[in-house]
Formats: sequence, C-alpha cells, structure tokens
Amino acid sequence: MKELLTVKKLTARIAVAIVLLVLVMCVCSLVGTQRISLSAVFAGGHSQQTVNTDYEIFVHVRLPRILLACVVGAALAYAGVVFQGLLRNPLADPYILGISSGAGLGVMIAVMSGYSWTLWGRSPITVFAFAGALLTVWLVWLIGRFTGRANMTGLLLAGVVVNAFFSAVIMFLTSVVKSDQLHSTIFWLMGNMTEESFFVLWVCGGCVLAGIVVLFCISGRLNLISLGEDEATSMGVNTVRTRTIAFAAAAGITAIAVSLSGLIGFVGLIVPHGVRLIFGPDHRQLLPLSAITGSAMLVIADTFARVVVAPAQLPVGVVTAITGGPIFLLLLTRYARKSGLLNK
Amino acid sequence: MNIIKVDGLSFGYSEVEVLRKLSFEVESSSFLAVAGPNGAGKSTLIRLLCRELRPKSGSIRIDSAAIESYTARDLARKVAVVRQEFVPVFGFTVTEVVAMARSPYLDTFAFESRTDREIIAEALEMTETAKFASRTLSQLSGGERQRVFIARALAQDTPVILLDEPTSFLDLKHQVGIYDLLKKMQLEKGKTIVVVTHDINLAGRYCDQCLLIGGADGEKNCFIGKPEDVLAPERIERIFDVKVAVGKAGRKKIIIPLGKFADSVTDTDADLTSTE
Repeated sequence: MKELLTVKKLTARIAVAIVLLVLVMCVCSLVGTQRISLSAVFAGGHSQQTVNTDYEIFVHVRLPRILLACVVGAALAYAGVVFQGLLRNPLADPYILGISSGAGLGVMIAVMSGYSWTLWGRSPITVFAFAGALLTVWLVWLIGRFTGRANMTGLLLAGVVVNAFFSAVIMFLTSVVKSDQLHSTIFWLMGNMTEESFFVLWVCGGCVLAGIVVLFCISGRLNLISLGEDEATSMGVNTVRTRTIAFAAAAGITAIAVSLSGLIGFVGLIVPHGVRLIFGPDHRQLLPLSAITGSAMLVIADTFARVVVAPAQLPVGVVTAITGGPIFLLLLTRYARKSGLLNK
Repeated sequence: MNIIKVDGLSFGYSEVEVLRKLSFEVESSSFLAVAGPNGAGKSTLIRLLCRELRPKSGSIRIDSAAIESYTARDLARKVAVVRQEFVPVFGFTVTEVVAMARSPYLDTFAFESRTDREIIAEALEMTETAKFASRTLSQLSGGERQRVFIARALAQDTPVILLDEPTSFLDLKHQVGIYDLLKKMQLEKGKTIVVVTHDINLAGRYCDQCLLIGGADGEKNCFIGKPEDVLAPERIERIFDVKVAVGKAGRKKIIIPLGKFADSVTDTDADLTSTE
C-alpha cells in the first residue's frame, strides 16, 4: 500500500517543489544584461536621494516578468494535464481545441484594425486574443457536442479542423496585411513576454489561481474520467458536470495565458508528461506539481530569452520549443520503460 | 429477497428494438448467468442495470428502489460493473486502479482513509492481485488485468456486481480461475453476481440461475430458471439457430455447437465422455 498517495506525501512534495520554484525565481531575477545586487534591492527605492537603479530594475522590470512567466507557465502546464486527462490522449496540449488559432485570429484582427484604443494601458491585442480563444473553444465544444455527448474523438477532430481552418485564415491575412503591422503579430505567434503592470498581473494571476483551485478540487474525479467515461459513471461520478467544469476552467486559464504572452509551445505538453513519468498519473498530485514545474520551466526559459542574444531578446516560445524537445526525449527514454508507457 | 427486479423492460437503439418486455428477478447473494446470441441485448441489459442507458419502457428496481431514484454516487454503492478488460491510456498502477473504487465513499477532494486502505488490501488479496500491486496495467496479461477490474468491483463494496463477458479473451485456466473467483465472492462475501457470457457450459456449472434472451419476433424471448432447465438443447438450437451435440461431464450436461463440417456427431445423443 505504500505507493498510494497520502496527504503527508503530497504536502511534502508540493512544499519541496515550491521551495525549488522560489529558488529558481530568485536566481533568475538576478540574471540579466544589467548586474544587480540583492543588497541594493533590499535597500529599497526611496531611502536615498539618488535613484536606486538596482531596485528600479528589480521591481519594475525583472519581477513583473518573472511573475508573468510563473502565471503563464502554471496555467499552460495545468491546462495541459486537464486536457490530456479529459481527452484520454497523452498527445493533447492546451491548444488542442483551437485556442491557439482562435487567439491568433483575434490578434490578426486587432492588428489589422490598427488599434488606437487601449484597455488598462494595454493594446487591444490581449483583449482580442482572449475573446478569440474563448469563442473558438466554445465553437469547438458545440461541434463536439453535435457529434455526440460522450464522444471525445468528435471533439478532438472538431478541434483539429477548426485549428487548421483558422490557421489558414491567419496565413491569408498575413499575406494581405501591410508588412509594418506584421512584426508584433509574428512575435505574438512565437510566444513573447513583456513587462506587465502589477495590476494586470494580479487580475490575471488571481483568475488563473481560481481556475487552478477549482480543478484541484475535482482532481479525484479527473482520475476516474481519465480511465474512461463509462468507468467513471459506474463509480459514481457525474461525468457531464465534471467534464463541463474541467473544460471550462482549463480553457479559461489557457485563454488568459495565451492573451498575456502569445503562443508558447511545449510547456503544456512536456511538463505534464515529465511529471507523470516521474510521479505517476494520479491527478491529485499531477496537477499541483505540474503547475509548479511549469512555472519554474517558463521562468528559466524566459531568462534565457532575455540573456542569450542580449541586448536583443528572443521570443520565449522559441526557447521552450528548442530546449523542450530534447528534454522531453531524455525523460521519455529514461522513464518510459519503468512506467510502461511504451509497452502497450 | 430480490435485489434486482426487472419488469416489462424494453429498449431499442433508434429504430432497432433490442430488448422486448423483459421481466425477471434476481435473488440476493445469487449467481445469474445471462446467455443469448449476438445482438440479443445481453450487454445492453448490463448497461441498463447500471443506468448507463435508460429504458424505453418498463422498470428496474435495485434493492427495492427504482433505479432512477438513486444519485450517481448512491447507485455506485449498490452496483459495480466489470467491463471487458482494457489498458488505460495513463500508467495507473494496480493499487491506484483498485483504489479508485473507493471514490463513491470519498468526499469531493479526499484521500483514502485507513478503512479504505484495508478494503483495498483485502480486495487485492482475495483476487490474488496483491503480488503485482505496484505494476501498471499495461505490464499485466489479459487474465491478470481482468482480475484487477474484479478487485476494483470488490473494493467498490457493492451488493451487486455486473460482469460483461469477463472471460472472452482468456485461456481455459484463466476462464475457470475467474469463475472460481466469482463463486468465492458470492459464497464468502454474499455478492450478487450477474455475468453475461457466451460460454453456456462453464456458466451453467457455476450459476444458480440462467437467463436466456433472444429468439425471433413474436416468440417468447426470455427464459429464466435453473441452468439445466433453461439450457435445453432444443431451445439452444432454436434461439442460437445452430445444431448442437449434447454430452455429459459428471452429472451436468454439456452442449457443443456443430458446424457444417463437423464430422459424424450429428446425433443429439452424441457420446461425449468426461474426464471427471
């Protein structure tokens, strides 16, 4: 019975993971083109007559960006776990139901409209991406429902088709749009982090955290659903309700992540896989550990993106894609035999 | 006492009628085998009994309450289902799969208590799956995997266990092993076992009652009773539309289907001898 998860074991693992995450955040916040010292940061911003540059950089440049990476990484990895479980498909990722192309189309429309207005000091790109993502998921969900209530294959295919169609529309718009408008769109499509205001961070971080808590509460039922809908029903799960809540929450947090930082690939695929390979598929543990790991991974990736070609910056999506692939292969070869993932 | 009471049950998929006015009762702590040709609605019956499907007409009562009156959780405390064994997509271990059966007794977010763990351990022990408890399901053979799903049904701690062709992909030894296990669960734990099967000879030796469904429209389509009465050779020939040879193994009759090319044994009094 030692392999069954207990509260004690779970709490201990989460605690260790959080400590590691905080360590990663501390180290990454000190890395950058401008060397800053912690002691100068702790001296505060207003104690001296002169401007404390280290403090200013830490608080207004590094910290918001690291917090943003935390929120986005957690949301993507978490949503990845939920979509993989719900669709019973280990190749699913947060973008599988068309969120990426829907948000991308929203961004294209925002760029073409030649944005002249702002919301909370942000360009309409964020708002359009968010709306595009949610509308697309809703559309895919409707098509999936039409093909049959418990039919996950129908939902998957609907996602693939809508994704392909919207991508085609994006390509078309890219080819007709004036080239000076394209740069921001392309950076967005590659997944890019910028410094956010604390207000945006708090609102979005709060929403993501709410989604995370809701999904964590139903994680025991996600275990049963990941075994099969019929199995879950006969073990007392209200599958329709659980599935709807899970889809809505996962789509919501993905949409937030995407509208904040564009299409960052691989995090939502690799992190759930890696954590599952090491700690097993129990969602009560898989979900929190994936969120923390996702945060840490994106904080590190974004630090690379800031530093590697300094003073210029890479889109973080490029870093996650280039590093994510090999890391995933390493994990797979090391643990696949142990977990029986490949010997079906 | 009757734990399952089915009255005038009919069901159809869109236009095709599958079950027609089925009525029968299952006594508590008894062993019922359900037999019948392909498409007669055996699996449909199982799915109706666990409310995966809703009947077109007629009623099902479980433990003297209408099946519709149960919440999903409460029904999961009355009826456990063992479907044909499969490999889950994700690498759950045997213990984890069996532990999931405790879900109808747990709060929304909770961990298995000491009592739950004892029940899980007991289910693993009884089904002889404890020795590979920490392996994932993909690392087991079909027969071992089927025992895991039976262990899960046992850990679900329900009075009724429904099984849909639990032995269809198993070799002879494992077939008998599964039936021995089911009988043990009936006798030692007082479970009511309902098993859908094509193996009328094997099921006939273990069950207390046999339900035979199927047959052409307009005829009587449902027979229930002691297996030796229900599984009469003439009735088998008519309902399954096949010639059979009958022999004896010990005191029980055994029935073997004959195809076009079956040699010499055309007489229903064929001289099959048993090794018992």
